[in-house]
Amino acid sequence: MFRTLAALAVVTAALLPAPPPARAEMTQDAMVRALKTIDDRQSNSGDYKALSFIEQKEKGKTDLLYEAVVYRRDEDDKLMILFLKPKSEAGKGYLRIDKSLFMYDPTTGKWERRTERERIGGTNSQRADFDESRLAEEYTPSWVEESKLGTMTADHLKLTAKPGADVAFPVLEIWVDQATGNMLKAQEYALSGRLMRTAYYPKWSKMFSSSKGADIYFPKEIRIFDEVEKGNQTTIVIQDVDLSSLQANMFTKAWLESKSR
Amino acid sequence: MGGVAQLRLMVVLGLRSLWTHKVKTLTVGSLLFFGTFLVVVGTALLDSIESSMARSITASLAGHIQLYDADAKDPLALFGSGFMGSDDIGEIPDFAPVKAAVSAVPNVAAVVPMGIGMATISTPVELDQVFLSLREAVRDKDQARIDALAKRTRAIATDLVTEYANRAKISTDTERIAKAQADLARVLSDAFWKELEDSPELSIQFLDSHIAPLASDGRLVYLRYLGTDLDAFTRDFDRFQIVEGEEVPSGHRGMLLSKTFYEKQLKHAVARSLDRIRDKRVQGTTIAGDALLRTIARELPKQYQRITYQLDPADAGTLEGQLRELLPQVEGGLPELVQAFLAVDDANFDARYAAFYELIAPHIKLYEARPGDVITLRAFTKGGYLKSVNVRVFGVFRFSGLETSDMAGAQNLVDMMTFRELYGQMTPDKRAELADIKAKVGIEDIDRASAEDALFGGGALVEEHQDDEAGFDEFRGVDLAGQVERLREEAAAPFDQTAVDNGLALNAAVLLKDPERLDESLAAIREALDAAHLRVQATDWQSASGMVGQFITVVRLVLYIAIFIIFLVALVIINNSMIIATMERVAEIGTMRAIGARRRFVLVMFLFETGVLALLSGGLGGAAGIALITALGHSGISAGGVDIMVFLFSGPFLYPSAGIDQLLLGVTAIIVASLASTLYPALIATRIQPVVAMQQKE
Repeated sequence: MFRTLAALAVVTAALLPAPPPARAEMTQDAMVRALKTIDDRQSNSGDYKALSFIEQKEKGKTDLLYEAVVYRRDEDDKLMILFLKPKSEAGKGYLRIDKSLFMYDPTTGKWERRTERERIGGTNSQRADFDESRLAEEYTPSWVEESKLGTMTADHLKLTAKPGADVAFPVLEIWVDQATGNMLKAQEYALSGRLMRTAYYPKWSKMFSSSKGADIYFPKEIRIFDEVEKGNQTTIVIQDVDLSSLQANMFTKAWLESKSR
Repeated sequence: MGGVAQLRLMVVLGLRSLWTHKVKTLTVGSLLFFGTFLVVVGTALLDSIESSMARSITASLAGHIQLYDADAKDPLALFGSGFMGSDDIGEIPDFAPVKAAVSAVPNVAAVVPMGIGMATISTPVELDQVFLSLREAVRDKDQARIDALAKRTRAIATDLVTEYANRAKISTDTERIAKAQADLARVLSDAFWKELEDSPELSIQFLDSHIAPLASDGRLVYLRYLGTDLDAFTRDFDRFQIVEGEEVPSGHRGMLLSKTFYEKQLKHAVARSLDRIRDKRVQGTTIAGDALLRTIARELPKQYQRITYQLDPADAGTLEGQLRELLPQVEGGLPELVQAFLAVDDANFDARYAAFYELIAPHIKLYEARPGDVITLRAFTKGGYLKSVNVRVFGVFRFSGLETSDMAGAQNLVDMMTFRELYGQMTPDKRAELADIKAKVGIEDIDRASAEDALFGGGALVEEHQDDEAGFDEFRGVDLAGQVERLREEAAAPFDQTAVDNGLALNAAVLLKDPERLDESLAAIREALDAAHLRVQATDWQSASGMVGQFITVVRLVLYIAIFIIFLVALVIINNSMIIATMERVAEIGTMRAIGARRRFVLVMFLFETGVLALLSGGLGGAAGIALITALGHSGISAGGVDIMVFLFSGPFLYPSAGIDQLLLGVTAIIVASLASTLYPALIATRIQPVVAMQQKE
């Protein structure tokens, strides 16, 4: 009886369709290429302006919501965020020049130097969420596994910050969509190994950049879940993007100040 | 036998018995002495601490009674509940009706609105400060100032060149060092300062982003503030004293810094380190003998840039001359001289400390903010937004008698309008504005647990963006400047008492005309609040103080338990001693009974004996206790510099006092306890039959 059952099991197993072969481990070069693809797609050789909304949900608190414009000049590594709404926050802004991040509050007229981990507007979003992607420049990848996110199949990579890289988190784990090459998910770890944030990139948009002569990609939506304060989440929605040239002198403290004077 | 004769006989027999049984008398007497001593000293000390603590708490922050939201999630703990996280004590949405209802209670002298919050103030690094000043000078076209700051910047850059040359010898990050050296070389070139004339914004931006980060980081200072009606607070809290500057004028926004915060947080880092060493040395500690002081002293010379970077060229020249005179053996320039000057030890400390305040302090920014300065407070509002508010510092205050207590000096005072702005109550208008934005963007809520399925359940991941040609104008219909101007005008507008009263408070302090009538007043206030249908609760200062207020209750409980155990032991020992003594005196009692002594006489005789012993021993113990407390009352008990003890003692020393109350309590308690423990042996004695005594005799 036992022999019969065993033989039946072997036959059944042989007749079942074989599972798809698991993707072979990516080579170091392939992983670096994947990171470069993510970076290059988001980089624009000209200027970039995005109308964004940032929503912060915290347990027991009223939801926060900002309307802000993000300005980027990737060529010079410059970034500026200017808050438009709500009225009480209008005119506030951040300016990144090289590796320095400054914050401006028009009601006090003061600039303050902020760190890489600055919570933008007190939300769980950070400068890097709005800035040009520099994964290949800042991190060294290593292979983890192939995994599923909903219906998507993704390559799961672990990224370790390169020595001297000025990054908010020393270790990242990212999931890259095999079909499109876009990042779907990122988990950010502190030096202690503690998981700090999980970010999802469920929607990407692409548009043709004449200055680049190719499409540029940007995440239409980023969902950031706070892994330390469970229940807190931030959503960034990029509603509109404009790739036309910005004023030459825009990325200065004087320009940001002038908008609320 | 007459009553007097009986009494006389009893006294004679009792005293003779005490004398005869010396060991028992001494043992029991010692216990009674110690018990009474403990009761008198313990209760006197506790009463004194309680009274000091009451003075500290009621006069510095709490008043006699505190009012707060009846529906608060957490109990009010003005000095902290001891639990992690901030307490949620709810809100008093409109203070005016509360003030009106409570002020009508006869014993109420004042009702002061309050609200506690936490803000940060950033203290920029010296270089940021220099470049900020340069930017202002360029903006104001103040050429003299630009020249002075340019010289200062060059001096700093020269110093950094030396520092980075040294770093280059040991650092493996050669690329970063080389970049820093190239940036510094650029700043030291004449071409850079020519560029500054032509395009100041970009040149200063270069200094901001390339040179400023080469020096040490700035510091974030946490500032705890108490928003209040400053007129009422300064008038009604009688220990409040201005020690520098002035009070905030009525109807104006402003801040008063606590002396403790001012000295320990806002003072120049080098001065703070020197003060710290000085304070310890005054207490008898030496630098050589204390690990912490050795560390502070070792680190001091490394902080020389905090001094040199703050000096104008003229001041730098003056100081260099003065220091060279003081330290002729030191080679090199000002940086070397300052480093050598800051190398302190036990031998040179006093002279260097005095020289620092005489020669260096006048040329540097000794405090991050002084009366007259405007500081920027940055806090998270109740709604979660980051709010920055500029507020002028008018003065520095302290509470008299609590000068050295960090706990009493933990709060800085700010006007009620500034507090409300930082608190940032979510108004209906703001809610409506946020709802509009939310509707515009249409963000769907997604649960964390099912996020991956919800976000990656299917559909196209990448879409074509359609509006690339159209672009957008972010400033269409947006008046940023107008909105900011309105906020600035609101912040600068003077206000009256009605504005202070008509608005939000988190809690309120009630000061009583006669604090002795606290319980009665508390009941009356609760009645008044109920009658006015206000959802506000009232609590006394002790329970409103949180852990600090409960401290005395815990100590008292511990003392009472200790006294109870001592009394219990004494009870057993007295009981045993008396039973043994009774057994030894069977013949004597039997004889007394045989010649006509009644049982009652025997009972009273035993109780009398113990009573006399208790009175004498207790009296002596009580007197010794009173003597000790009186002596301590003159010499004082040191708080040992421990903050909570300073606060509990209402100063660096506690001067306890004892009165007739403690003495009566001690002697009465000991007499009652000893009589109770004698009752059983005395009853045994009354049952002794003459015949038994006779038989023992035979």
